[in-house]
Amino acid sequence: MERTQQTPLLEFRHVRTHYGRIEILKDVNYKVFEGEIVCLLGGNASGKSTTMKTILGIVKPTTGEVLWDGEVINNVRTSERIKNGVATVPENRRLFPHLTILENLEMGAYTRTDTAAIKRDLEKVYEIFPRVHERRSQRAGTLSGGEQQMVAFGRALMSRPRLIIMDEPSMGLAPALVDQTFETIQSINAQGVAIFVVEQNANAALAIADRGYVLQTGQVVIEGAAQDLLKNEELRRAYLGEA
Amino acid sequence: MADKTGIMTPVRQFFSRVPRWVYVLVALGMAVSVPLFEQAGVIETLWLRVGIRSLVYVMLAMGLNVVMGETGLLNLGYVAFFAVGSYTTAILSSPRLGHHYDFWVLIVLSTVFAMAAGLLVGLPTLRLRGDYLAIVTLAFGEITRITFNNWESVTNGPGGIPQIFRPQIFGMNIDKPSEFYYLVLIFVVIVAILLTNLKASRIGRAWNALREDEIAAEHAGIHGTSLKLLSVVISAGVAGLAGCLFAYYQQFINPTYFEFLQSVLVVCMVVLGGMGSIPGVMLGAVLLDGLPEVIRQAFSKWLPEALGAETMNRLPQAVQTFFLEFDRYRMLIVGIVIVVMVIFRPEGLLPDKLWRREVHEEDPREMEKTRQKLFDFDEGHRDLEA
Repeated sequence: MERTQQTPLLEFRHVRTHYGRIEILKDVNYKVFEGEIVCLLGGNASGKSTTMKTILGIVKPTTGEVLWDGEVINNVRTSERIKNGVATVPENRRLFPHLTILENLEMGAYTRTDTAAIKRDLEKVYEIFPRVHERRSQRAGTLSGGEQQMVAFGRALMSRPRLIIMDEPSMGLAPALVDQTFETIQSINAQGVAIFVVEQNANAALAIADRGYVLQTGQVVIEGAAQDLLKNEELRRAYLGEA
Repeated sequence: MADKTGIMTPVRQFFSRVPRWVYVLVALGMAVSVPLFEQAGVIETLWLRVGIRSLVYVMLAMGLNVVMGETGLLNLGYVAFFAVGSYTTAILSSPRLGHHYDFWVLIVLSTVFAMAAGLLVGLPTLRLRGDYLAIVTLAFGEITRITFNNWESVTNGPGGIPQIFRPQIFGMNIDKPSEFYYLVLIFVVIVAILLTNLKASRIGRAWNALREDEIAAEHAGIHGTSLKLLSVVISAGVAGLAGCLFAYYQQFINPTYFEFLQSVLVVCMVVLGGMGSIPGVMLGAVLLDGLPEVIRQAFSKWLPEALGAETMNRLPQAVQTFFLEFDRYRMLIVGIVIVVMVIFRPEGLLPDKLWRREVHEEDPREMEKTRQKLFDFDEGHRDLEA
């Protein structure tokens, strides 16, 4: 528990957000520490996507604070946040369909100007995903879902992030690929990148996570270490499909 | 289309093997030699005037291409920025209000004022997309023209501003058409070089990314609003510069030069030449502005001369009228060309690499859905076996 002593990489302090008059996040607190995997579980309309948007600054909190590395970033714009070390694997991956894989990866490094280092990172991505290297001159739109997922991970890594946020990375993938996806997330994390992952697939996500939060209609109802959450009766009933 | 016939393939291969700078040199050589031909008496002065006008359109097409081709924002009121540049020059360099500013000052002022106008429209409208943006820009174009039309105390309304002073550059009076031709050509070359470099820069890549997928671009760390605004402002500046040169050359401007149809014509040039392709839009501009002139001359002069007056008189009245009044059908023909073009070669005459990819396939995101099932099924099996 020495972790509580250090400054979290990302922190939500009593964050509330509104769409018009409707309150989405109701006094939410999260912490993500350097090098951790944190997963966010929750049903539909629980506020998962809003959480993602709030991290990126697309949605601004009405009250409360979002902190990055101990500093309040409520008014920092999206592009600045990404420059400061947040990368995303967005929902449905959202590659640039007409750009080649190489061009997609280069877009991931858009915020950087250190050409030589970008090249080295590109090699590193190819090393992790040999398949991506094979297809580097192919258009992203013609790839299979699994391959697109790899490119999306690669693109996120290209910005040398300190935190990658992932929105439902296993969505739309064949079951055999889902396990592979989570293995990949673990290996990315092993390089020291913190990961904040939103998932429907609670079992698989908790299996690789350090900690987890469960969101219900805008409030964190359960939080704790991933192993504890896996054992939590209430959670098992609600999310892990056990009666 | 053509490469399916098999005949075009070797021709195409030959042309694609010629290095790019050869094309640039040939085009530049042709452009430079027009006034020389005129001086040698090979062509009439008329063609020099057509050339100057075409060059102004080339500049406009390059400017519009920045927003439309690179960033994917449809602007139907582009001529408004051209008008701002023209009026800036006309007002500040004519007896109308008694100002006579230096050429260089007005080049800068026209560009800057047009850019400011771009900022003015861009700021509130860039949240809009597609159809809405098109409508707002269309309205802006009309508002600008009507303002110049009604602001009599400064612009003299529909009467326009006459007697715009000839520019003086480094003590040289620019007066003859050939001098104007080279003046405009120099600026076209400068703008082309600047825009080509911009296209290849980080900014150009960001524009293309925004056009492809705005959300994905934002996630890559691109600040969409400011880059789109930059694109609108740069494109407006180019139009302002073109407007300044146009006013100097024309020596007289009034609001009829800045009608909606002009904006549409420039849009057509960009579409015809190839969105996002600088050589393409240049070609589009020369073709759409120059060809009708060629056809008109052909019908009203060359053909009758070739056929002789007697043959002409024997032709049915309707055909004679068509020959003489070809000008009336000009926009009709432009329209037909555009329709044919969009059906058979939607990427334009000299397409941009990325645009061709976008146009020439079904949306890969749609394709993905069917492919995904096939591929993932295979992969799944392979993974299970392993």
